Amino acid sequence: MTSREKVVVAVKEALITAASTFRDDQFRAYQRAVEKETEESARWALESMIENARIAAEKRYPLCDDTGIPHLFVEVGDQVPLAPGMLEAIREGVAAGQRALPTRPMGLLGDDEQRLSQSGGLSDDPAWVVPPAMLVKTVPGDELRVTVMLMGGGPEIRSTTYRVFHERSAEKVIREAGRWAAEAAAKLGCTPMIPCIGIGRTHYEATTMMLEAMKEGNFDRQSEWEQLVTDMVNATSVGSLGLRGSVTALGTFIKVGPLRASGLRMVCMRPSCAIDPRRGTAVLKASELVG
Amino acid sequence: MERRRIETPISPEVARELKVGDAFEIYGKILCGRDAVLPKLVKMSREGTLGDLARHLEGTVIFHTAVSPAGIGPTSSNKIEIESSIGPLSQAGVRIHLGKGAISKETIDSMSACGSVFAVTPPATALFMDKIVSQRVLAFPEEGMEALFEVEVKGLPGIVAAARGETIF
Repeated sequence: MTSREKVVVAVKEALITAASTFRDDQFRAYQRAVEKETEESARWALESMIENARIAAEKRYPLCDDTGIPHLFVEVGDQVPLAPGMLEAIREGVAAGQRALPTRPMGLLGDDEQRLSQSGGLSDDPAWVVPPAMLVKTVPGDELRVTVMLMGGGPEIRSTTYRVFHERSAEKVIREAGRWAAEAAAKLGCTPMIPCIGIGRTHYEATTMMLEAMKEGNFDRQSEWEQLVTDMVNATSVGSLGLRGSVTALGTFIKVGPLRASGLRMVCMRPSCAIDPRRGTAVLKASELVG
Repeated sequence: MERRRIETPISPEVARELKVGDAFEIYGKILCGRDAVLPKLVKMSREGTLGDLARHLEGTVIFHTAVSPAGIGPTSSNKIEIESSIGPLSQAGVRIHLGKGAISKETIDSMSACGSVFAVTPPATALFMDKIVSQRVLAFPEEGMEALFEVEVKGLPGIVAAARGETIF
């Protein structure tokens, strides 16, 4: 297998894993939620989602029919020789994964006007749902890591990227993002949610920090701020699927980036849904990327 | 958790018995549609041009979902094109609107006046795979995964979230 083929296969597997697999910390978070939840209907919803995840992993089915828009977070080790065609091979791997699962064919056809008004029809090729420009970050080491994240439509409807006047208080910034998350809970529907929050200097940077939070977040490791946001959302008592209950947020992921001297912070809050974060990572050693 | 078995088509009497918090499983043919086709059905219903589709609406469940090789699962029912269909399609005979997310008091009142209910179901696509017996495009094939589908289901679960003017939200 050529190095290019290795990348295609690894990224294809990463996409399928993202679409169909709960990680261990996700299962543990759900188990804790079931134990905590006292409302029968909400507990049934949580148990259904655990069962759904078991079947999805076993049969490699999508966790959710909205298989989302694939987003790529690429970490390139400083000792990795990135040969010509490697970034294109990542895109090929995404398309191969989309066709193999398959993901949902929802990409629109036509010119700008037709796509905006949804009047040009749809492609029946799942790979027509192309990823946006990939995020590339250099890191120390000899690995190429490609994380595929699938971003469904529900959370996108209720995401916010906006400025917050911090008034020299970190807690004020976090609480504002927590307030946005709490407001989104009832209409999101697919609760328990996972508020994913990025903070930076520009709207773009705040959004990339939010993506990085989704890439790194772990339900077993929650910071004081992450717990604060989770508690704020749980105080709404919206519960799973909106059925009322004590678990409205399963956890929170926050990433703070570089910041500038200013009275403002740019904050991105995505109320990720009950099956998020859907992510899978392809890891290739520099030695695999030669030839 | 005790779940009531509901077979389609659903009689007005059965629909009126349903109350907030009731858990059920659906057996029989239902309709699946979302943003693209529900406004079209509303328009046809208002203009009296539903034709044979009128028969399919009477006593049915409309599941707010796409249908694709990736399966089925609830989309947000509070999107404007979906939520605005709930009242008019209740008048056209739809008894259960199945989806997710809080809907407005105004929508609940217009739906309840027809004796219809709104129910939610989890995003459990893999779990739902073996609950699909058959599926076919019923109308608007040009909309792809957003076409109006008739899907036969066995044991598709839901919980009533709004009925009789009351809501869990």
